[in-house]
Amino acid sequence: MIRPDAPVLLEITGLHARVEEQQILNGVNLIVRSGEIHAVMGRNGSGKSTLSKVLAGHPAYTITEGSITYLGSDLLELAPEQRSRLGLFLGFQYPVEIPGVSNLEFLRVSTNARRAQRGEEELDTFAFEDLVRERLKVVQMDPAFLNRSVNEGFSGGEKKRNEILQMALLEPLVAILDETDSGLDIDALRIVADGVNQLAGPDNATLLITHYQRLLDLITPDYVHVMAAGRILRTGGKELALELERTGYEWVDQELANLGREPAEVL
Amino acid sequence: MPAVVMPNTADWLSQLAGVPMPARGQEDWRFTELAALQGLAPELWSGVDPFAQINLPAGISRIGADEAQGLQQQGLNSTGGGNVWSVRLNQGASPRCLALRVAGEAGPLQLHFDAGAAPGLLALQLVLVLEEGASLELLIQHGSSGPNATSFVVVAQLARGAKCNLGLLAPGDARASLLSHLSISQAPASSLQVTTAVGGWALSRLEPCIIQLEGAAQTRLRALQLVDGKELADTHSQVSFEGPDGQLDQLHKVVADGAGRSVFNGAVRVPRRAQQTNAAQLSRTLLLSERARVDTKPELEIVADDVKCAHGATISRLQQNELFYLQSRGIGAEQASRLLLRGYCEEVLRELPAAAAALNPLELLLRERL
Amino acid sequence: MSTATVGDLVSQPYKHGFVTDIETEKIAKGLSEDVVRLISSKKSEPEFLLAFRLRAYRQWLQMQSPDWAALGYPQIDYQNIIYYAAPKQQEKKASLDEVDPKLLETFEKLGIPLSEQKRLSNVAVDAVFDSVSIATTYREKLAEHGVIFCSISEAVKEYPALVEKYLGTVIPSNDNYFAALNSAVFSDGSFVFIPKGVTCPMELSTYFRINSADTGQFERTLIIAEDGASVSYLEGCTAPMFDTNQLHAAVVELVVLEDASIKYSTVQNWYAGDENGVGGIYNFVTKRGQCRGDRSHISWTQVETGSAITWKYPSCVLQGADSVGEFYSVALTNNYQQADTGTKMIHVGPRTRSTIVSKGISAGHSSNSYRGLVQIGPKAVGAKNYSQCDSMLIGDQAAANTYPYIRSQQPDSSVEHEASTCRISAEQLFYLQSRGIGFEEAVSMMVSGFCRDVFNQLPMEFAAEADKLLALKLEGSVG
Repeated sequence: MIRPDAPVLLEITGLHARVEEQQILNGVNLIVRSGEIHAVMGRNGSGKSTLSKVLAGHPAYTITEGSITYLGSDLLELAPEQRSRLGLFLGFQYPVEIPGVSNLEFLRVSTNARRAQRGEEELDTFAFEDLVRERLKVVQMDPAFLNRSVNEGFSGGEKKRNEILQMALLEPLVAILDETDSGLDIDALRIVADGVNQLAGPDNATLLITHYQRLLDLITPDYVHVMAAGRILRTGGKELALELERTGYEWVDQELANLGREPAEVL
Repeated sequence: MPAVVMPNTADWLSQLAGVPMPARGQEDWRFTELAALQGLAPELWSGVDPFAQINLPAGISRIGADEAQGLQQQGLNSTGGGNVWSVRLNQGASPRCLALRVAGEAGPLQLHFDAGAAPGLLALQLVLVLEEGASLELLIQHGSSGPNATSFVVVAQLARGAKCNLGLLAPGDARASLLSHLSISQAPASSLQVTTAVGGWALSRLEPCIIQLEGAAQTRLRALQLVDGKELADTHSQVSFEGPDGQLDQLHKVVADGAGRSVFNGAVRVPRRAQQTNAAQLSRTLLLSERARVDTKPELEIVADDVKCAHGATISRLQQNELFYLQSRGIGAEQASRLLLRGYCEEVLRELPAAAAALNPLELLLRERL
Repeated sequence: MSTATVGDLVSQPYKHGFVTDIETEKIAKGLSEDVVRLISSKKSEPEFLLAFRLRAYRQWLQMQSPDWAALGYPQIDYQNIIYYAAPKQQEKKASLDEVDPKLLETFEKLGIPLSEQKRLSNVAVDAVFDSVSIATTYREKLAEHGVIFCSISEAVKEYPALVEKYLGTVIPSNDNYFAALNSAVFSDGSFVFIPKGVTCPMELSTYFRINSADTGQFERTLIIAEDGASVSYLEGCTAPMFDTNQLHAAVVELVVLEDASIKYSTVQNWYAGDENGVGGIYNFVTKRGQCRGDRSHISWTQVETGSAITWKYPSCVLQGADSVGEFYSVALTNNYQQADTGTKMIHVGPRTRSTIVSKGISAGHSSNSYRGLVQIGPKAVGAKNYSQCDSMLIGDQAAANTYPYIRSQQPDSSVEHEASTCRISAEQLFYLQSRGIGFEEAVSMMVSGFCRDVFNQLPMEFAAEADKLLALKLEGSVG
């Protein structure tokens, strides 16, 4: 839902970033207001996933230029855990397995960290179990997963559901979902998309990072951005995604060539 | 049980090795009774030189004696094998030496060393150099039918990209001993498989000692050792990673029957420079008799944090549920046991170089039990 | 953003490093037959005990200090150690009110309140300061159930027949170098006797405190559970920070008769030395239990975080049919600490079962070894063992070694061993952080998750303590 007067949650200006010696982002500009759903599309290596990691504060990435403002403050000053507590959420493309750490305990500590930030009281184990059981419905997840170690032995689809469950518990203001659709069969995709739709509202925003149209058939974006060579090459409405579906990314090379860059440099 | 020891055999062996015989107090020999060796007549084996008539396939050529000497020294230095007692004994016992260079894809090679019925100590050395990208499939057969001992030292170097599939098939004799040391160094991108199948010796001791000089190589070890009667079979393996990205896949299988003794010591060393090493060792033992004894000791030494090292060990008798399954299909208990035992051994034996199949290794090793 | 590494986190100051200023009675440095006699006479011991000590001393003289564990430490000068030190108070006091307040204060500071009103409910404590026991709480209440819980010195005086019957029967005085030394010069320790059919009504606990800089600590613990009896016992240990090394060579013997069980837990936090490896305790301990009766049960649980060097293998001799041995261990090493620890499970009787769960965490330049033996004897028909040894490496300078010996002579038995190595990866940390969990808490969650199987075995009152202790060891200078 686009409302020009809605408050700005996230503003990315001229963002450049690299990992080790490799420059990946080359001037990303993006404004996200509350209520909006953005889709960021692009080929492998275009910088989509890097953008999501940089937003979450992954230590392997170095910002070389530009700024990110989140809720009016400098996001880059914040540790990853502070970002989460302030309502920035990254749904991982490959959620890591953490043997030994109980999923339920993990979810409770994480939820309480966010609640404390919001000035809400901590939930004890019983109150939390009630909450988590209610939120499990959002992703139609089996409660048995709560008693396992974090993501350990979960299938691809179960991991993604666990991500959306965390989103349901943390009630983020800006949720970035990195390739949440990858590796999901059609039923799992529908469940995950339903979950995202249930959680999207006028006061929060969602950034979907995806390759394919199929997720966007289920979650309608307000904006579609096409990334290439570490920047947003074109922005449009949901019809842009449909156009991409038809024409592929060939035109991107053309456009980059017009900008005087070799496609090889892009990859 | 004081074996009948010829008074001067131990002295003679010590003299050959230049150091006293290993004692039980030494960690590497703690479970390995050398009585069988002491029963040996103190003389060198005097049969026909087993290296005299060997036809080398294309791609394999002989190396001159001087160069071979240097290569052997170099190889033993890199693995630390030079100080091992079995190697010292070999060097002191006027060994017959075969030194080979392998270039390109060489045809399969088969070497057969049968000590026969002649008494005494037979010492053999094999030096192998696999040049860059070379590949070799080598099956070594040992045998004996008398009161003798075979001491065999292999020193092999695998250059970058070289592939070596080395099989050692050694059905023995209850009066004979086999001491076999293998020092093998691997350059990056090389790949080594060593499959050993040993059974029937009064005493056998295998010492595969493998070093990945800069890591980034593949090592696959498969072993089957069988003991029955009063036999003692011992394997002391050691794999060291001296650089990152090395891989080890090791399976050691034992069948212990009669009053046999089986010893397995499997060392894996992963120092700090060997990040991203992936090493797995599994030791499985079938203990079939109340008089048999099994000593198993994996040794994992790790000083790198980004590695995957797993090892496992099991000792048990034949799986009762598997037995029951076969019996419930009308197979008698004894036959079912034999079937399961065959399957257990075949897992290793089928990995011997292809030439082994014609020799029917299972029959050679298990004989009357099948 | 936090730039701390996991390595920074495991370095945190030792919180029990203070020295209590109290007048102490010490004998002169050095060890000789006269010193052994002097210790025995100071404690007014009966003849049998002096004979036991002297025999052990003579055996010790014939023995060599073991070198197989490949631990690196300079030769110990046994003539430069004081073998007896006691805070000056004449007799053990009948009432705690008469105990030197400085001692009470010391234990209070360590979190072990001994005074009546502050006592841990449902835990009886024997507090040992340097060489002697200074107080044992809840003795009367325990006596009502026939349970004896006192210092071993008192037991020698009050129950000499029991002591003579069991002392040295599980660990003979010539068992090993340090056991022989302990048998010759042991000062004090705890004695527990649970009579037939009694379930000890409360947790028993001994708290060991080394205070003097040049004193060796040689305590001796003996626990006997008669037919059908059961008890849960916990020991804790701390010491001040000195830049010299103190020797601690304890012996613990457990005797378990038919259908009886002993659960023995240790939270060891001796001073580990500083970040350069200077100072710290040499902890050379012999612990062994015998399951003498059928269906008897011994469970060892240990959380080892301290000491410069730990050399310790709490073991079970499973003689009785269907007896059960368990060993659950967490060993954390940091800086230049060396730990060589594990267990021996000796299966003698039929259908005996044992379980080993060992979790080693190595950080800094430390070295952490699991060394164990599972032995299935010829009569142990149907015996079963399962072992699991996991190592967690923090940083690329620490060593994790695993040496699990297995020996079997019984075909109708099964032994299974599994081992794995893991680390705390940057990706795992980032994942937890991106869910609002701070760096320290993330590390601590992962470490305690790694150790959970062991912590679950600790008595409830202490499980939280152990978790906290590891968290403390892991807490530190972030940011």
